[in-house]
Amino acid sequence: MGQVELEARLFELVGYMLTSGRNLLDETPMYGPFRLVDAASRLILLLEDEEITSSRLSTIRERIDAGKYSVMRSPGEFRTFLDSLVDALVDHMDSHGKEVIRRGKRIEKNKANANVNLGGK
Amino acid sequence: MDLWEAINGRRSVRAFLDRPVERDILERLLEAAIWAPSGGNAQTWRFVIVTESKRIRSIKTVSPGLFGDPAAVIAVCQDLAAARERGGTLGETFLAPVDAAMATENLLLAAYAEGLGACVIASFHRGAVGRLLDLPEGVEPMLLVSVGWPAESPPVPLRSKEGIVFFEVYNGSG
Repeated sequence: MGQVELEARLFELVGYMLTSGRNLLDETPMYGPFRLVDAASRLILLLEDEEITSSRLSTIRERIDAGKYSVMRSPGEFRTFLDSLVDALVDHMDSHGKEVIRRGKRIEKNKANANVNLGGK
Repeated sequence: MDLWEAINGRRSVRAFLDRPVERDILERLLEAAIWAPSGGNAQTWRFVIVTESKRIRSIKTVSPGLFGDPAAVIAVCQDLAAARERGGTLGETFLAPVDAAMATENLLLAAYAEGLGACVIASFHRGAVGRLLDLPEGVEPMLLVSVGWPAESPPVPLRSKEGIVFFEVYNGSG
């Protein structure tokens, strides 16, 4: 990704967060945590596309993308999903000091999972 | 396509292939939209079809509910000044959004019949989208619809008439 495209992607991510902040005044409170975890996923994906990867961050992004749309199915399921994300964080804390940011080709596995979408209505 | 096949098969699609949607197909979707019922036959809906990728990205930046990279975004708008003129307060505050919703459903079913994926978006900043689309005073975006060739097949959602559909009176079973 060139510097121009990277700047554009960052601008769009900031736009997503700012607009979410405004819109959440009028939206269901459930969308607050949804936008937060989705923003985390978008940030990790942007870094991956910039070929800056960490296996634990990629794992967390995959978990977010696989479960985030549960917000539209069931509050209970969404709550369980959020708890599982925090559990995953704790699971990966042991890796602190061992994990490194890799710069280079993105892991293909991640690319394949980038568009996982379990939502629907 | 059979009507029931479209009604039962349509899903909210949020991942799209990197492939354009031809203009004649988009125009068919809008043909379906404008054949929806309209309160008082006001037909004060307005539609803006966006296919320029740069403009779509700008819209996406101020639309947290817009996922994926669709080939087109259709803004379903209402001329609220005209709606007020045609239908009074009821026209402006009630019939206008209802008409927009009915037109949108027609559009969604037509999109499915064309093999397209689509998703209705209400989570967007109306003022910002209005500016990006150069909407005139009095014309408000009601909904956005992302449209593209689907890159996913969302699962069948749970739907049940129980506790929702009644006969004769509320909670009645006929």
